[in-house]
Amino acid sequence: MEKLRERAAAILADGTVSLVIGYEEGTKRPRPLFCHDGESARKLIFDSRCFHNLAVYLTKKELVGNGRFAVTATISTLRSIMQLYVENQLSEDKLLILTVDLSGTLREFVTFDEISAYVEQFELKRSEREQAILTRIEGMTREERWNFWQEEMSHCFKCYACRSACPLCYCTKCVVEVNRPQWINPWPAPVANMEWHINRAMHMVGRCTACGACGDACPVGIPIDLITRKMMEDMAPEFGYIPGLPVKKGNALSTWKLDDREQFIR
Amino acid sequence: MSKIGVFICHCGENISATVDVERVAREIGGMEGVAHAIDYKYMCSDPGQTFIKEAVKKYDLDGVVVGACSPRMHEPTFRRACAEAGLNPYLCEMANLREHCSWVHEKGEETTEKAIDLVKMLVEKVKKNNPLESIKVPVTKRALVIGGGIAGIQASLDIANTGHKVILIERDPSIGGHMSQLSETFPTLDCSQCILTPRMVEVAQHPNIKLYTYAELESLEGFIGNFTAKIRLKAKSVNYSTCTGCGACIQKCPVKKIPSEFNAGLGTRTAIYVPFPQAVPNKPVIDRVNCNYYKRGACKICEKTCQVGSIEWDKEDEIISEEVGAVVLATGFDVKGTDFFPEYGYGKYKDVLTGLQFERLASASGPTFGEIRRPSDGAIPKKIVFIACAGSRDPAKGIPYCSKICCMYTAKHAMLYQHKVHDGESTVFYMDIRAGGKNYEEFVRRAIEEDTVNYVRGRVARVYEKNGKLIVKGVDTLLGGEQVEIEADMVVLATAGVANCGSEQLAQKLHVSYDPYHFFAEAHPKLKPVETNTAGIFLAGACQAPKDIPETVGMASGAAVKVAALFSNNELVREPIIAVVNRLAPPLYSTCVGCFMCETACPYNAIEHEEIKARDGSLIRTIARVNSGLCQGCGTCVAFCRSKSIDIQGYTNEQVYAEVMSLLND
Ligand SMILES: Cc1cc2nc3c(=O)[nH]c(=O)nc-3n(C[C@H](O)[C@H](O)[C@H](O)COP(=O)(O)OP(=O)(O)OC[C@H]3O[C@@H](n4cnc5c(N)ncnc54)[C@H](O)[C@@H]3O)c2cc1C
Ligand code: SF4
Ligand code: SF4
Ligand code: SF4
Ligand code: SF4
Repeated sequence: MEKLRERAAAILADGTVSLVIGYEEGTKRPRPLFCHDGESARKLIFDSRCFHNLAVYLTKKELVGNGRFAVTATISTLRSIMQLYVENQLSEDKLLILTVDLSGTLREFVTFDEISAYVEQFELKRSEREQAILTRIEGMTREERWNFWQEEMSHCFKCYACRSACPLCYCTKCVVEVNRPQWINPWPAPVANMEWHINRAMHMVGRCTACGACGDACPVGIPIDLITRKMMEDMAPEFGYIPGLPVKKGNALSTWKLDDREQFIR
Repeated sequence: MSKIGVFICHCGENISATVDVERVAREIGGMEGVAHAIDYKYMCSDPGQTFIKEAVKKYDLDGVVVGACSPRMHEPTFRRACAEAGLNPYLCEMANLREHCSWVHEKGEETTEKAIDLVKMLVEKVKKNNPLESIKVPVTKRALVIGGGIAGIQASLDIANTGHKVILIERDPSIGGHMSQLSETFPTLDCSQCILTPRMVEVAQHPNIKLYTYAELESLEGFIGNFTAKIRLKAKSVNYSTCTGCGACIQKCPVKKIPSEFNAGLGTRTAIYVPFPQAVPNKPVIDRVNCNYYKRGACKICEKTCQVGSIEWDKEDEIISEEVGAVVLATGFDVKGTDFFPEYGYGKYKDVLTGLQFERLASASGPTFGEIRRPSDGAIPKKIVFIACAGSRDPAKGIPYCSKICCMYTAKHAMLYQHKVHDGESTVFYMDIRAGGKNYEEFVRRAIEEDTVNYVRGRVARVYEKNGKLIVKGVDTLLGGEQVEIEADMVVLATAGVANCGSEQLAQKLHVSYDPYHFFAEAHPKLKPVETNTAGIFLAGACQAPKDIPETVGMASGAAVKVAALFSNNELVREPIIAVVNRLAPPLYSTCVGCFMCETACPYNAIEHEEIKARDGSLIRTIARVNSGLCQGCGTCVAFCRSKSIDIQGYTNEQVYAEVMSLLND
């Protein structure tokens, strides 16, 4: 951790980057820290309690500015970064990755190839919570599942915290704000809520990297991250890739190649 | 408020017999924003159109809906009428009350109600329509023809004779393709070379044709009327501007044992070579893979023989760029080799040949000067077996289709054999004889009846060698599946016609579709056989599916006419039904976030990157832009754009939404 602080201070001092996004100690759990100088870099921490997905800030021009910036990244964050790269939202010349590997060594990545090679070593596993809820849902009939989600989503009050937390929800105008025509009714109500959530899910197929930030952000505790996660798990074997892993431009649904598996079509 | 005019057509009785057209007009007339609604017997007639024109002026209409037949039929008619009356033609829409309603339903209340709904949807849509301008794109009147077989030759000549320039590129050192390898051609048995060579020479001498042999397409960019082709001119190692084609170098080249491609492996050639005596151009290239000098750094015998110093050892591949307006794909086909058939010896028996090899044996310019002799010992075969459908129509071999030409050339081969070896005995094993074509059936009958070729209906299970003979084991299904065994001296397989190697990569370079067997796909199996689904790219010959020469030539002329028709315009006028990515005032510029999912989804490569730059030149954002020349208005991108930043002009989200809501809101 000391090495991380030193390195962050050094790259800020020599002008390699103008900003380091990382974590600092918070009241209950670590919170994001934006360091512009060596002084603030001394507050940086990086351990297993840091799970806020910092990738969400990387597409915010007003935050990161025009220069180069660094981010201390967890595996989840790196997956999001890879997906953002696939979606043309990040470029190598603006980004520097700092992370600490399992042996406690400080690692630095400059290229997306390096990130991809590193991330590939980690398997994407369900957490205990995810496993518990998903097994329950997988055991349900179609109808039971529909009822389950309807009940869950009836609590949604459209605060859009999930959207703000998701690194991949970077649109300047979200579909819920499109009003010519008004595809999705803006008020919270059973049907209007389903409209929002079905749309969100659709927009995430083949993109969600299962970081869980959306579910974590929901103030009423709707496990919405599991919808997109499950879609990803279903998609991965069919299309032969996991979002956030290999460098594949485009989307499972937007591209077609002879070697796609897509066995369900044939 | 809108002022929409609605015109309901009886279509004689086509619509009015089942739909209460007067009621439709009456009820629609009561809709909000409808200024005028009438019905009439024939809206498309002169008086009908006059009603529309007069109403546009009288009621100052800002939209027109005609409830009549299919827009495929009369949309241009009614749009023109509106334009003549001063209304933007794209403010006129048609509701299809005939194909979508009267023709498919019984007379009755519900049918009339459906008709009302159909018109109502369009009224709501038209309220949201915007005036559009048709798109004009300039046309480069020069064609690129890829492949110099008979298809490419014919297409090039036809286009060139309409006065337009043609660039013909051929992968091999000479044009001619498979036809130059054939001996005599069914159904007339005229000599293939004799009818082909004059055309090859014509291509070389035509003032409008620029021929590049030993050349391949590197890339193609752009769109109909405006393509840029990058062409790789492979290094020939011989300077064609000084080479006289004397052939002295070929005589002296010490590497003589290279299997000749032209003779389908039955003869040999040298490392510096002209593929065949009638080649166009008749100048050699050095095959760098086999040349001693390129292999080991020493030899240069050809250089010493060459009187004019034409050998260029250090020549490199050259990439040139050509602007063209249309492309004709004529890259032909290939045939499976004998090694594809484990049951017929995997290619290890010398006297088991493909049909193409047999053509070379039967050809006067071939390795045996037209005498049918066994490759193994040079003996004249006394018993010969022809096996039709070798590979074709065999799903287990991955080739379920019929190769179409084999029945005919097998009959030809048997006939040629009987003409050349009078005491010979020939047997053809066939599944059934497909001789559809002018004089084709007669040709086959001649083989059977006059030339006494023995036709056996059945498949050959196995061919193996025993004491210098080839044992052919098959069944005769007409004799109730009786086993047949023939001791033959030679076996000829009519091997399946398959897509040329590299056709898949070529299709991807050109963004044209291909079928599961890698033949290029036509835009419509019946009505657009020479078009591809990429505008401005056309197909000719066996690259689309195996076919014979008459069909190939017909198709090539068809493609040429399409090109000529395209070139008869100085600019192309296109419907403005294309996608647009929205543009907004700064600092937003667009709701597009530049994810370029649309780019990966677009089947026509129409999405481009536009860089929004500040005054000082720094990049603010990169967003999507649609190339109006390439976009076909398919709408795939619209479905993909999460932020709804793309719309199809004339079918915007707003318009379609209004249509749907008009049905839900009552
Ligand atoms: C054994 C046999 C016997 C036949 N006998 C008869 C007959 O008697 N009568 C009859 O009507 N038909 C006959 N045919 C059919 C006839 O050969 C075809 O109809 C004809 O050759 C098709 O012409 P094409 O120009 O489409 O293709 P091809 O003749 O295959 O020519 C294609 C050309 O394109 C070139 N090319 C390929 N790829 C590229 C590339 N990527 N870039 C540039 N150039 C490229 C090739 O080198 C070739 O020169 C016979 C066929 C076979 C196999
Ligand atoms: S888990 Fe949620 S926050 Fe994370 S990428 Fe998926 S949708 Fe976005
Ligand atoms: S965070 Fe929860 S409550 Fe807020 S919009 Fe998302 S799902 Fe609804
Ligand atoms: S999909 Fe939409 S947001 Fe993404 S680049 Fe295309 S137009 Fe822009
Ligand atoms: S409408 Fe179709 S062709 Fe046009 S840009 Fe969109 S996806 Fe491409």
